[in-house]
This record gives sequence, structure tokens and C-alpha cells, in this order.
Amino acid sequence: MSISSVGARSRQGYRAVVPENVREWIETNSAGLLVLPGLFFFSLFMFFPLLFTIYLSLTDAEPATVFQDGPGGVTGFFGLRGEETFVGLGNYTAIMTDPGFWNSLGVTWLFVICSVALKVAFGVGLAMIMTSEKVRGKRYLRSIIIIPWALPPIFTITIWRGIFSSARFGLANQFLMTIGMEPQAWFSSRWMAFSTYLITEMWLAYPFMVIITVSALQAVPDELLDAAKVDGAGFYHRFVNVTIPAIKRPVMFAAILTAAASFTQFLIPFVFNRGAPGRDNQLIILYGYQEAFSHDAYGAGAAIMMTAVFFIGIFMLFAVWKGRLAEGVNG
Amino acid sequence: MTLLESITRKLKRDTKTALEKPSEFRKDVAYTIEGIQRGVVDPKDVAIRALSTIATVVFVFVLLIPVYWVLLMALQGEGATLYSSESAGLIPTDVTFEAFIWVIGDLYIPGAVVGIAIPFTGIEFFLSWPRVYFLQTADYGVEGSSNFTHYLRNSMFIGVATVTIAMAMIVPAAYAFSRREFYGRMKLLYGYVLFTQIGGGLGIAALIALYAIFSNLGVTNNRLVLSIYYAAMAVPFNTWLLKTYMDSIPVSYEEAAVMDGASPFRVAWEIVLPLAKPGLATIFIFIFLVGWMEFIIAQVVLRPENYTLPIGLFMMVEEFTVPWGRFSAFALLYASPIVFIYLLAQRYIESGLSFGGVEG
Repeated sequence: MSISSVGARSRQGYRAVVPENVREWIETNSAGLLVLPGLFFFSLFMFFPLLFTIYLSLTDAEPATVFQDGPGGVTGFFGLRGEETFVGLGNYTAIMTDPGFWNSLGVTWLFVICSVALKVAFGVGLAMIMTSEKVRGKRYLRSIIIIPWALPPIFTITIWRGIFSSARFGLANQFLMTIGMEPQAWFSSRWMAFSTYLITEMWLAYPFMVIITVSALQAVPDELLDAAKVDGAGFYHRFVNVTIPAIKRPVMFAAILTAAASFTQFLIPFVFNRGAPGRDNQLIILYGYQEAFSHDAYGAGAAIMMTAVFFIGIFMLFAVWKGRLAEGVNG
Repeated sequence: MTLLESITRKLKRDTKTALEKPSEFRKDVAYTIEGIQRGVVDPKDVAIRALSTIATVVFVFVLLIPVYWVLLMALQGEGATLYSSESAGLIPTDVTFEAFIWVIGDLYIPGAVVGIAIPFTGIEFFLSWPRVYFLQTADYGVEGSSNFTHYLRNSMFIGVATVTIAMAMIVPAAYAFSRREFYGRMKLLYGYVLFTQIGGGLGIAALIALYAIFSNLGVTNNRLVLSIYYAAMAVPFNTWLLKTYMDSIPVSYEEAAVMDGASPFRVAWEIVLPLAKPGLATIFIFIFLVGWMEFIIAQVVLRPENYTLPIGLFMMVEEFTVPWGRFSAFALLYASPIVFIYLLAQRYIESGLSFGGVEG
């Protein structure tokens, strides 16, 4: 029996077993196979841990139990399960009665609202300057001001920690001393630490807002502005009646994206002072992280993370509903 | 025309423009002055322009002071920044490269003795060479050195592994998205874009479960597993980016190749891929930077012997008394390749970075 006859026979067998419409479907969609490896690995590392987070949030997992050898087999997720026991919604009811959790959620939302407002105002203002006809050399300035975008977040955030260092040589304290004020311990008072987070977050994200707004501003037709000028509209009226309507949509969309990023901000409080004083300034992701890794409550930590996932899901829905997401997906 | 040639050509043109700028500026000024003298140009107008430009430049400088400050501290070496307050003005005094030397540490080829025996002849000879130093910290009066090279090795390992794995998944997928039709194509693309824009936080939210999974499988502190994780996380954004780039390549080349009887694989390999080089270069950079910049997951999963550069940087700022000069030198050496690559890519890899209406 030659090899080619084996091939022919298996092809025959394939035709006999698989119905024609299924064969056709496979043929027309075979290119999908090229996409599958990436999709598989992405799902493996993105969705599987998320599902496992849901599972953990329903158990009393802690390091002493979760890392033990579990039951194994299919019910033990092939060795992934340890000796933790199922507690139903116990973790969720526990965090609902935990004042620390509500404080963290409140601080996170306050952080989102304040930082988005700051980022939008600062970004739009800077973009107005960068497109103003009174300024020369705008192209060079524009490529300089987006430098913070290219810097790695951990670099920027550690540098800002140095700037707000409580010692006398920290840049912020040097500035205070030059204008004749006392040096401050920036991270030890609650609202002062919170403002340092805000400033850093703004510095991290303004280039994104500037890029989006500048390209939106450049699309505003000059004729409209000139016509408004001829009609005697001042700067304020031109801004409110011509510029804002023209840039509203892109800026709105950028604000949604940057709000989602602020909501999941972890590095700034973590690197600055771990959300001190106490746990006052722990944004929600950091709160869940500390619950798991410092207080050994993996189950409660996972439940807190799930509330964060819930809010990220809302941001996604909002982006799909409001945003122009589909415009990036053409063809 | 290859990518390299186009880059060199643009570089030449840019240098020429930069060299011509001062004389052009002088001409501009002369023209304006002449205009004022002849009464064609309103001096008030000129004054407003000059003032607002100067104000903007000052403002941009103030905005970027953190970057300048780091540069300054790194150049002032150790003692100067910690104890004396007058050294921290805006103009550097006592410039030394001590901090940079401390970060880089000794650079040498290790000494060795190698025996070479030629078989069947009985001839055997030995080669030996001493340690060859390129940079010896002691020569510059710097005691000890940082772990920078150690961290760098780990970062490079993770970066190279991530790029290799991710490219193998992303390039075929981008081709399929761009050129073929299959079930669920648009939905999947839409999902990828959604994840790119909002989904960043989900990865951190799943951190606890990820750590539990890795621990239970015994693969924490494994650089390769971490690279696979990074590669998987890089899939949505980079697939979409490369797909958008491939969309801009005209289909007619492929049609011609098909008419000449090329197989689908040959068309993809010999036509689409070479034409997509700028796009490939762009995603190469982006994927490499995922491992270079990521801190949170790496910090949870890795142990000290496998720490990467971001963790090294964080360790320095966590010390009780932070050596700011050395810290700044470390931070600069860590971040400068990225800034360099970004600026280079932005200017010289044409259209590789423009996507979704956002010019990078």
C-alpha cells in the first residue's frame, strides 16, 4: 500500500464522514486558523485568570490553603485548586460591610473625577497654545511636550516620588523654600498625598489628551473661526460656540479612555507610599492587592478585584455606546 | 528602497535642515526688521508674537522640569545632591560621570585558559588571556557598582523571548485579518480594539488569580513563562496595528503574483511581509517595550535573581536613604533607549506609527 493511497483513502473517509456544508464552512473559514494561536494565548492569560478570580472570590483562599495540593482531577482544575473551601458570597458581604472598602472605592472615584477634569482642562489648554497662530515653532514644541508619553511609567513615577521627597532636597520642597515656605512631608497627610497623586497622574496622561485635542483642533475649519471673528465674536464666544462643538466628540472619547486608566491606577499610590497614611489613599486595585498579598486574604482580595472588573466593564460599555471605537475598525 | 536607506536619507535631510535653521532664522529676523522700518509690519504684532513664543517656551520648560532635574542630579554624582542644598540649582555645578560609572560597573571580558588539542597528532596547545577591562570603576574612584548589568540581562532575555513568541502569533493573525475573510472576523477585531483601549486594567485586576495559578503550577520566577504572558498581552494591540498597516499595502502586487502562479504562502511570504517591514519594525519595538516597561506582574512573580530593570529601579527608590544621583543615572540609562527609539520611530519609520487617526 503506497503512501499516496493512504492519503486518498483518508480523504475519501473525510468526505464520507463530514457533511458537505460543514466541509464548505471549514474551507471558507480556514484563514481563521491563523488567528487562533494568538486568540488562544490571549484568552488563556486574560480570561482564564479572570474566571479564576471569580472562583477565588467565592472561597476562603489564603496562602496557607490555596498553595496546598488540592483534590486534583477535573473537579480540582487539574491541580490548580488547593484546600480552600467554598464560602459562597461570604467575601462579598464581608467587603460590603468593610468601611475600608467603601473608603477605597470613594477615593478611587474622587481620583477619577478630579484627574479627568484636570487632564481635560490642562490638555485642551495646552493644545490651544500649541495650535495658536501667535506662537512660532509649534511643530518643535509639540514634539517636545509629548516626551512624557514616551517615558516608561515606572520611570516617571519613581522620579515624581523623588520630587515629592519629604527631605529638603526634594524638588517640590526646594521650590517651597525658594518662595519662603516651610518644607513639607508630602506623603504623610492624606489630602496632600492625594494631590501629589493627581499632579503625577496629570503629568503622565496630558500628552495623550494634547495629541487627541491638537488633531481635533486642526480639523476645525478656519473659515468658521474667521466668520465668527468678522461677526464680532470675542475669544470666549468663539471658543464656546465654534471650537467646543467641533472638538467635543474626540475629547469626550479620550476622556472615557483616560478615566478607565485612572480608575485602574495602581503604580502611583504603590510607589509613592502604598496608599498611606493608613489605608486612606489606597485606590481600589491597590486595596485588593494589599488585601491579598499583605493581609493574606486572597478570597477577599479577589472579591475586591471583581468589583473593579465590574466598573471596568461599565467603562467598556460606555466606550462602545458613546465612543467612536468602530471607526478604528475598518474593513 | 530598503528601510535603512530611507532612514539614512531622511537623517541626511534633517541634518541639513537643522544646520540651515539658524541662517533661516536670521533671515526671518532681518526681514521682519526691514518690514517694521518700512512700516509694512506692525511692531505691536511682532512684539505679541515674540512674547507669546517666549512665554510658551518657558512654560514647556517648566512642564518638563522633572526630566531636566533627573539629568542634572545624575550629572552631579553622589555627594553633591544629598547634603548641600546650593548644588541643586538649575545650572549644574561640578559635573561628574561618577554616578553613571557606578551604574554600569566594571566592563570586561573574563580571563580564561583554553586548551586546544588537534586530534590524531598529539599536538596540544593552550591559549590564555587575562581579564580585559573596558571600564574599571576603581580607576574613577567609584566604590562598588549597581546590579544594572544583571537586571539588563534579565530584561533582554525577557524582551527577546517576548518578541519571538509574540511575532509568531501576531504576524499570521494580522495577515488573516487584513487579507482573508472568516467567521467572526469583525467581531474579534472589535474586541481586540476594545481591549487595547480599556482592557489594560483587567490584567492587573486578575493579578491575584494569576499569581495563584503560577504558584500552583510551580512556574513563578520563570522568565520564559513571564515572556509568554507578555506576548499574549501584546496580541490585541499589535495585531490590530499590523493589520492596519497591511491594509495600506495595495492588493495589486498580490494579484499580479497570483496571476503568475504563486501559492498563497509564497504570496504572503515574498510579497506582503517584505512590503510590511515598517509595520513589522513598529510592532517589534512595541512588543519589546512591553517586557522592558512592565513592573507590576514582574514584581509579584519574579525573585531577586530574575529581577528586571523596572524592579531594579523601584528597589533603589525604596531604600531608606535614596542615593538620588545614582538613582537618576540608573533611571536615565533605563529610559533613554526608549525615548530614543520612540523619537526615531516617530520621525523615521513612516506611517508605521500612524493609526486610527492618531499620529504618534
